[in-house]
Amino acid sequence: MKSYDVIGFEDLLGDVTPGDLILIYGPPKVGKSIFCYQFLYSGLKGSEPCLYIAADYGSRQLEQRMMEFNWFLQPHIQNGEVYIIDLLTRLAGIKVEDSASVKFSSAQNLADLMVKVGVGTRELFRKSSKFRAVLDSLTIIFAFNPPNLVLRLMKAYKTRVSEANGIGLVVHTTGTVEPQFESSLMELVDLKIFFDGENIQVESSTGKRSAKYTITSEGIKYWGLEG
Amino acid sequence: MIVRIASGIPGLDELIGEERGSLAENTVTLVYGPPKVGKSIFCYQFAYEGFRSDEPCLYISADYGLNELERSISNFGWKFDEYRENFYIIDAISTISGLEVESRDNYFPSSVHNPTDIMVKLGMAIRQIASKSHRFRSVLDSLTTLMAFNDELLIVRVLTVYIMRIKESGGTAIVTYTEGSADSKVENMLKAIVDNIIHLDGEKLTIEAMVGSGKITASYNITSNGMIVE
Repeated sequence: MKSYDVIGFEDLLGDVTPGDLILIYGPPKVGKSIFCYQFLYSGLKGSEPCLYIAADYGSRQLEQRMMEFNWFLQPHIQNGEVYIIDLLTRLAGIKVEDSASVKFSSAQNLADLMVKVGVGTRELFRKSSKFRAVLDSLTIIFAFNPPNLVLRLMKAYKTRVSEANGIGLVVHTTGTVEPQFESSLMELVDLKIFFDGENIQVESSTGKRSAKYTITSEGIKYWGLEG
Repeated sequence: MIVRIASGIPGLDELIGEERGSLAENTVTLVYGPPKVGKSIFCYQFAYEGFRSDEPCLYISADYGLNELERSISNFGWKFDEYRENFYIIDAISTISGLEVESRDNYFPSSVHNPTDIMVKLGMAIRQIASKSHRFRSVLDSLTTLMAFNDELLIVRVLTVYIMRIKESGGTAIVTYTEGSADSKVENMLKAIVDNIIHLDGEKLTIEAMVGSGKITASYNITSNGMIVE
């Protein structure tokens, strides 16, 4: 399959092909989630729908956080271009009902999460030949489940997204699990992107690339791409 | 646009450079550092600032019982008595140290041994607060003590629930943690799940992360009137 342009990140993600899973990793508070919002929003703007698993915040907070960048999610939720799986709101004991585009699952019930991922990917696949899938992040999932189980989830998730021809993004905070689980995670993905607060490093089977970046009120801006 | 609220620490809000305050509303800030550098004092000032503008505060105290808490606070000359009706306390330590505390409104005795009960009391307190105010402050002091009595990952899960409930109800919170007291993996998780991070080392205050702002360091002192950033 031929590579195609990932709208919004054409040069940075040049090697990506549909079905690929990308790992975004780095220490806390370097902009990994902001990258996810931007990936989601640029996809929606380019008419690529998105499956979004909110695992570190609720769906309402996702909307609020995106609004800080003037990215408005509500219209896209209403017309079904984004399919959100919220893993925390119900877990926190807050009473909420599923809607057509927002489904509530739980960080401690990965089997239920996979069922909803299945339904979500099928629905988006029917809508569009291209779609995006974001999982932000594994941190709280690791706090609620044994690491081996999380790795099995990731294998199943990769298969699902890949079969439906989506491009997947998974976020991991470095140093939150034992190094061997971190290595297994790295082996599982097709492309790795490391954020350290100043540099973005992209590593794929065809080579490495890096750029400087900064977080602005319009999201992540990167420049000086090399490699 | 990011709405910010006053921290209650003289000099801190000016660092962020906005008129109204420094802490992004409806976010959770981790205040951490070695022991005895002013983390609890930071919390008192944050709560007191809220009282002065009639915002309730939900205070989960795992380090100091109610009486000790009130004593420490009054040492700085702050009159919490006047604000009792806005001061909601989940006292997780008095019962286990066998102290008698007079029951009163807004006071929820619990135990550091029982995080589930703390979460139940949190739900009760939030319901009471939400019935009279759509914005409030909350303090959790400290995660270190909760971790000393429980499995560390369990406390990460409890914190996750705490953060969700505070945010969904319109609150803005401070949680404290003593640097190096838990496994480094757990410490990384804590930093990942909060929104903002402030480090105190006894001399310098570093805003390591703050919604909509960069990293900033400044000196601070603890005076008889509390913490002051220079």
